[in-house]
Amino acid sequence: MSKALKIVLAANLIVLAILTFVYPHLMVGPGKLIPGHSRLETDCFACHAPFFGTTTERCMICHKPEEIGRLTTLGQPIQKPLISTPFHQKLLNQDCLACHSDHAGVKRFRIAGRFKHALLPADARKECQSCHKSPKDSLHEQITGNCGQCHTEERWVPATFDHDKYFVLDRDHNVKCATCHVRNDYSRYTCYGCHEHSPEEIRRKHIEEGIRDFKNCVECHRSADENDIRMPGRGREAESGQGRERDGD
Amino acid sequence: MTTPGTASLWRNHILPFTLLVALLGVATVIGDYLLHRLDLVWVGRYLGIPGTVLIIGSLTYSLRKRKVIASGNVKSWLSMHEIGTWLGSLMVLLHAGVHFNAILPWLATVAMGVNVISGMVGKMLLGRSREHVQGQREQYQLRGLSKTEVEQAVFWESVTFDAMTKWRKVHIPIFIVFAALALGHIVSILLFWGWR
Repeated sequence: MSKALKIVLAANLIVLAILTFVYPHLMVGPGKLIPGHSRLETDCFACHAPFFGTTTERCMICHKPEEIGRLTTLGQPIQKPLISTPFHQKLLNQDCLACHSDHAGVKRFRIAGRFKHALLPADARKECQSCHKSPKDSLHEQITGNCGQCHTEERWVPATFDHDKYFVLDRDHNVKCATCHVRNDYSRYTCYGCHEHSPEEIRRKHIEEGIRDFKNCVECHRSADENDIRMPGRGREAESGQGRERDGD
Repeated sequence: MTTPGTASLWRNHILPFTLLVALLGVATVIGDYLLHRLDLVWVGRYLGIPGTVLIIGSLTYSLRKRKVIASGNVKSWLSMHEIGTWLGSLMVLLHAGVHFNAILPWLATVAMGVNVISGMVGKMLLGRSREHVQGQREQYQLRGLSKTEVEQAVFWESVTFDAMTKWRKVHIPIFIVFAALALGHIVSILLFWGWR
């Protein structure tokens, strides 16, 4: 390599190095900051600790947890808070980066609206509706609370609940949730919520068959199909091919 | 106007070379698409590390060639250099994605691209082209053409060949530029990144 070329190369690299120090946000910054942080655009170390990245401690220099949702970082009262329920003050520990990020190029890799529910106190984690609105569909309109039975704290979808695993909702059982789950308590159910099944009638039928333990209906009946009755330890009646008579033996 | 000899050089040598360069581009686009489709974009972010390791590892060929490393077959080291830099470049290109954020890493990516192409010119085309031009010369001489007529017949091929001999003048300096810019990018990541 000629000496002249070496000089040209060195000069170019020196210019690039100078540009990096003068315009770090353009040369090495991974995209624009959010508008609220725009005045920090060229002051990388306002948020970044060398070799450790952004730290909660640096966030809290401007964003004091006790003031979040109440006062701006300049101490002015907030007229219209972005969040309906202030919760930052109650977090189990302050970990800003668990939910927040900045720089357009970094935010692209993060799930929008990422929120670490584990930072909330246990009782607040059950109060989903204090922050989330229930969807306006026929299913959710009937339900209040107990969101965690179907949805995880990580994602709204996929919802993990599959009703068919417990009981198939065929056309005869296409009823309001509260018919079986009284007071929308999905940890319990009753089959006596409609006129078809009365305790007396069910008792009589089962005693006739010699069945004395019939409190937990779905233990044997996973659907309305009379050929799909599963006796604990005896498999499906339909599979055994012996029908209902077998129970009476 | 192209002579039959030039067309042959294009078809036999430059076209396969172009295809291999294009393959790098196509593999990058497909890889990037798959990472997005499979919701594995975060994998692309970390591909920069193995890509860099592969490129650095493939530099052992240069050390062997300059006798800094004494052992090993130079030809094997060269194959490793070619495969390592091609794969490493693919990983770095996937790592870069099609996201235009900071200038420095993109300058490093462009320098890497020029480096890869100049390296391919040097090692893929030069040897074959030399043989090709020499073969053409001998063929024309056998047909009884004079020296001047032979040189006229292979004029465009010679010009193309001469242009390709300049590859080394690009390859080494652009590698230094690439290394310096990539180092700047890596240092900035270590300085600012939170690793979470």
